Amino acid sequence: MWAGARRVALRIGGAILVLWAAATVTFFAVRLIPGDPAQAFLGGPGSQASAEALARVRAENGFDLPLWQQYLGYLGRLLRGDLGTSYSLHAPVADVVGEQLLGTLELALWSLVIAWIIALGLALWSVAGGRVAAHVAAGIEMTAAVLPHFWLGSVLILLFATGLGWFPAIATPDARGIILPALTLAIPLAGFLAQLLREALQEAAAQPFVLTARARGESRVGVFARHTLRHAAGPAIGLTGWAFGSLMSGAVVVETIFARPGLGRTLVSAVQVRDVPLVIGLTLVAAAAYLVVSVLSDLAERALNPALRVSRDALVERALEAETPAAPGTFSTPGAFGTSGTSEPSGIFEQPETSGTEPRA
Amino acid sequence: MSSLRRSARHIPQALAALVLLLLVIAAVFPGLFAPGDPLAINPADGFQPPNTTHPFGTDGSGRDLYTRVIHGTGPSLLIGLGATALGIGLATVLGFVAGLGPRWLDFGTSRVIEVMLAFPGLVLALLVMVISGPGAFGATVAVGLATAPGYARIIRGRVREIAGSGFVEAARVQGRGRMRILTRHILPGTARSLASLATLGLGQAIVWVCALSFLGLGVAPPAAEWGALLNDGRQFIATFWWLTFFPGLFIVLTAVSATVLGRGLAKTTRSVS
Amino acid sequence: MNTHRRFPRIAVPAALLLGSALALSACAATTPGTSTAPTNDTLVYASGDAEPTCLDPHVGGNYPQSLLASQFLEQLVSQDKNGDIKPWLAKAWTTSPDGLTWTFTVADNVKFSDGTPLDAAAVVRNIEHVKDPETKSSTGYLALAKVEKATATDTNTVTLNLSQPDSALLESLSQPWLAIESPAGLARSQDENCQAPIGTGAFVVDSWKRQDSVQLSRNPHYTTGNGEAALAKISWRFIPDSATRIAALRSGDVQIIDNAQPDTIASSAASDDIKHLDAPRPGSVNRIEFNSSRGPLADERVREALVRGVDVNAGIKTLFFGTATRSYSPLSSVEKLGYSEPKLFDTDVAAAKKLLDDAGWVPGTDGIREKDGQKLTLAFPVSTNQSIPAEQSLFEQIQQQAKGLGIAITITPLDLSSWYEALGKNEYDLVSAPYTKVGPDVLRILYHSAGITPAPSGYFANHAQVNLPALDDLLTRAAETGDQTERASLYEQAQKTILEGYYILPLYDQQNHFLYSGKLKGVGEVNSVGNPLLRGVSFAG
Repeated sequence: MWAGARRVALRIGGAILVLWAAATVTFFAVRLIPGDPAQAFLGGPGSQASAEALARVRAENGFDLPLWQQYLGYLGRLLRGDLGTSYSLHAPVADVVGEQLLGTLELALWSLVIAWIIALGLALWSVAGGRVAAHVAAGIEMTAAVLPHFWLGSVLILLFATGLGWFPAIATPDARGIILPALTLAIPLAGFLAQLLREALQEAAAQPFVLTARARGESRVGVFARHTLRHAAGPAIGLTGWAFGSLMSGAVVVETIFARPGLGRTLVSAVQVRDVPLVIGLTLVAAAAYLVVSVLSDLAERALNPALRVSRDALVERALEAETPAAPGTFSTPGAFGTSGTSEPSGIFEQPETSGTEPRA
Repeated sequence: MSSLRRSARHIPQALAALVLLLLVIAAVFPGLFAPGDPLAINPADGFQPPNTTHPFGTDGSGRDLYTRVIHGTGPSLLIGLGATALGIGLATVLGFVAGLGPRWLDFGTSRVIEVMLAFPGLVLALLVMVISGPGAFGATVAVGLATAPGYARIIRGRVREIAGSGFVEAARVQGRGRMRILTRHILPGTARSLASLATLGLGQAIVWVCALSFLGLGVAPPAAEWGALLNDGRQFIATFWWLTFFPGLFIVLTAVSATVLGRGLAKTTRSVS
Repeated sequence: MNTHRRFPRIAVPAALLLGSALALSACAATTPGTSTAPTNDTLVYASGDAEPTCLDPHVGGNYPQSLLASQFLEQLVSQDKNGDIKPWLAKAWTTSPDGLTWTFTVADNVKFSDGTPLDAAAVVRNIEHVKDPETKSSTGYLALAKVEKATATDTNTVTLNLSQPDSALLESLSQPWLAIESPAGLARSQDENCQAPIGTGAFVVDSWKRQDSVQLSRNPHYTTGNGEAALAKISWRFIPDSATRIAALRSGDVQIIDNAQPDTIASSAASDDIKHLDAPRPGSVNRIEFNSSRGPLADERVREALVRGVDVNAGIKTLFFGTATRSYSPLSSVEKLGYSEPKLFDTDVAAAKKLLDDAGWVPGTDGIREKDGQKLTLAFPVSTNQSIPAEQSLFEQIQQQAKGLGIAITITPLDLSSWYEALGKNEYDLVSAPYTKVGPDVLRILYHSAGITPAPSGYFANHAQVNLPALDDLLTRAAETGDQTERASLYEQAQKTILEGYYILPLYDQQNHFLYSGKLKGVGEVNSVGNPLLRGVSFAG
């Protein structure tokens, strides 16, 4: 009971710590970029702002204060939930984020769904199709996982928009416009997920209950669907948090190519025009999204397979084998498990704790 | 399992190793494969499709694409390896501190890793590139920093696993010193994981550099880095296919070979330990 | 892949033939074609330019703003294809003998789209708005530098009092950055007015979704052209990626694209489905400027060596597929007073090397020349926002050829902010910067020594840092004279001075290519700065 409450408290505390650190790092890093924030405010260095206008903007925004004062001021506003006003768009950061968030979320969710469908399809095929199919599938997965997004996106446009005319090349109000962008993000991710799934499946297929089911006369595919897959999906779902994070970053390329509004594209232009509040705001949103999805995928993983309780170390081991150069240009991190860091005691040089026997999951 | 089938299973790994070996040779001695000058221009001979003189065709300035791709092997692998080394080096320090330190240090370091994971890799890379300006050095640092937290996670777990294993427990009961346990058990145990991680990370790093090039933050011209070549060719994808096909082929070939080899290494690691 | 067959590769000779054909289609009338009946059609325009941060071209004032604003705002005067000034919102004007007082008569019965009438007071309000530092206008502000005061002498008459005579005033007033907006609109907060400025144009701004599009709809009360526009709506999309833009045009998702890349123009010429509009920008030519204020390029011999030691013609032919014509003038080919001197730019590598020897730069062990222990290295920051890929390739060719002369050029691709930063710190030897302004007065902005002193923001326009009192005098006199013959002669002398001093390497006009669907008719009308006007455009039956 208490342990549970402590876990939750630690997790929330950890999340706040993460957000604070992300804001702090961004705040100071953006200051290192050459360029004057007052000029960014007045439309960039090419805008020939007058000396008076520059001075006024500096005073109004506190750019002339020492950096630590600016930082404390920013932090104070952040604590009150005020993300500030974008220098370049002259609109509250919260509004800009709100306007752009939906497009990116929609893209990321569609990509996740499509990636899972492709990954499952490949896994099913390699189980049902025998040795040759397994080898071909493995080759497809590995290649898919390393395709650069911008190349893939251009090829898909060439094939399906200009060539076959099935889908529009750019975002459109109807649902057809999401297909190509989502596929561009999904294909490399599917390659990655499929590899992970395969390792888990091979392990699960060797479990006694699979043999028992087969002995009972269940079909190969039936056993796969009912037993093996359920057993194996856990770790891959656990990775969904990571995948989501990587999709948010990979969205930059896709949003640019397919001319979709979204956070990624906003972020790149915000960095280019030195829009400090917007860069920090977007970083915070991405970090928060990562944290939320991590928790959700954690819970999903447990719910799906409470009995399994694979130890984190076994997961690491398995991932090490399945690990690939993850989805190209997705800005992914190999083996970055979606679950947030464990907070169990460690230290080989300490006495082992008597209470900490709960299996790690 | 017959020895024939056993060795047949290693064919993909052997092939992958061969490809990587050839690439490394091309990186160190590009002149062996392509004696020409990758920067030599011939404007009148621009946009030639692959032919006997130019096996990969030419770009808009009439530069030979084959020569450029071969000479691009060096910078591409160097950035890839440099970034991987930086990422894994940083990760090893963090992973060991978290995995071996006292509880508060683990908590602190784990939070650092967590922050790095939650911090969008893209923002990090963008910031590094804009601060440092375009170039191989900036790209290496950007990709290294962005990939480090993932590695740190794995290493930390691995350190923990070995630290908690029976033989380390036994060693501790026998009263062995910390350093001895560290050097005799934990370092060798993680080293093998690190080796396979490094192989795997290489392909990823190269692909990362491509994304930086796309955002206009890759290496400075006229360097023939693969990501830059691929990005330069992209606008001609519908007209001059060879400009993207060949650099892309080398990127995929390198990354897939590294994956195959890395997975092989990881399997061997497991069967050895 | 069949997609490759559909868009065959264009061989270079064919592209050259094509180039001359394109040149014919280049110019366009300023008066709209035959009026078309209003329809329910929506046109999708795909812009590759940066999305404006404000739709009011008074604020800041760049080319992307003008492209969009030209659909819903109009100016006092316009320019026909011969470069002659024509009435627009002003129906007539006179100037005093000393050139210090200008009187404009406002056209009758023109209404802003909010229903308020266009009158002299509205024009005065606009001039005050541009001159107000709070507006943060740059392009429009500079163009009105000599205007001291604007007064409405009666309902329809505006008097402008100038500090000095301004021979470029009418050309300046034809620019979209000095468009006339509704005073009621200007009375709102700047953020509000930026969202949807109110003008007299053929369309009105409905909404603006950032990173996506601006929606325009037909102005039912439009009278200044040939009546209402045919199109019901325009969806103005921002599509930064050039490969996506052309793909979207080919697949029919959009009907007009701007910033068309040379290879796609060439490959589209093979089909009737896609047509081409070339509208070179006025003002300056696209050129490389040599920073004469520091380092090796302070020596004219080194500048001349660089110009004569590299051949850019072959590169322009291949990289631009015949869509760009080599220029030998500081001014755009659309400027009537442009002066060319091709023989200055004949390539002669031996002569270039001799010039470098004479200047004391001798080849070092690595082939790069040295003088007093200094290497002959030149910094070339390139703005990736402003130089298209073909141009960047051309710069790489120059870099490679310069290496043959013993000159090491370092090209650094930079985003716009970093690029301005490098310029502001005087950390460059070569630079290429666009500048669009109607008329030869652009020379004063770019080459008068007053343009060397940076504004408080660090911005300056004289990147070559030309500092010649004689040239200053020519440019000042040209800007003040009322005599057209004298003006032409002064500008010719000024251009000669700039070219013969090897301060710039002219390349080609500022490229401004549009591709549009063959289903459209009435495309081709452009304003004085090369913005296409869509008021006469319709879908063919």
